[in-house]
Amino acid sequence: MSFVRQREQRETTVPMDSISDIAFLLIIFFILATSIQRFAGFQAEIPSAERSQETEKTEKMPSVIVRGGGVMLNDNPVDMEQLRAGLLALKLPSKPEGQRVVVVETSGRIPYQTYFEVMSAISAAGGIMGILSEEQGDKK
Amino acid sequence: MKMPNRRIRPITVPITSMGDIAFLLIIFFMVCSDFAKESNVKWTKAQAPDVHKIQKSRISVAIDKDGEIYLQGQRLPDPDAVEAGVAALMQLRSGPDAKLIMFKCDRGVDKSVFEPVVGAIARAGGTIVAVGEKEEKR
Repeated sequence: MSFVRQREQRETTVPMDSISDIAFLLIIFFILATSIQRFAGFQAEIPSAERSQETEKTEKMPSVIVRGGGVMLNDNPVDMEQLRAGLLALKLPSKPEGQRVVVVETSGRIPYQTYFEVMSAISAAGGIMGILSEEQGDKK
Repeated sequence: MKMPNRRIRPITVPITSMGDIAFLLIIFFMVCSDFAKESNVKWTKAQAPDVHKIQKSRISVAIDKDGEIYLQGQRLPDPDAVEAGVAALMQLRSGPDAKLIMFKCDRGVDKSVFEPVVGAIARAGGTIVAVGEKEEKR
């Protein structure tokens, strides 16, 4: 007596009908999750601590003082237009790196908007920002 | 004269390759996409006339309107963590833009919040790419 039954051999198929639907759902996900923002701004060179110490040795550098009330370029009160013009007149790109530093001294409450405008003016004039905050100034 | 009847053939749109095309599109999006990591950061851009289009950097530091600091969309407790985080991320990157750090800050945030962060990025050896928008002529 034979116990071995002959199994019926079925044809196996992988269901591929919904693959394209899944793929399009994934595409929709990627389109929604992807950011296609274009950014505007500027590159600001800010020396690290070691480079700041090197630049301290150089002679008088142009300074921008930002206080709650306004902005001063080399101790003269200026508005943003005058600051831009004054920094451009310094012709910083033609100078060696050590002499391109513009010291930015800040004190009081300053919103980022003011700081951003000062940074962009220095960057556009080819300067390197040397930050001197109120606390650091007190230490000197 | 009787004209012969034209045989009407059933019209079929070939959709066999639709899945392949879809997967090619997925691969394209996966390669080209950069996920919106900082969608949770609420900030208003500062404005200046001297801004121009900038190259997007892979490392991003942001400060939202409440003064919270974020690195790659993750909230950080203080500027010291920014310095450590930026330095670590810069080590992982290579190429000419490895040191570029995108800095996004809400225009109303006070100096006491953003200046230590700017200092931390500079100490880590990064070059700040400040993000804002072009000021419209008044």
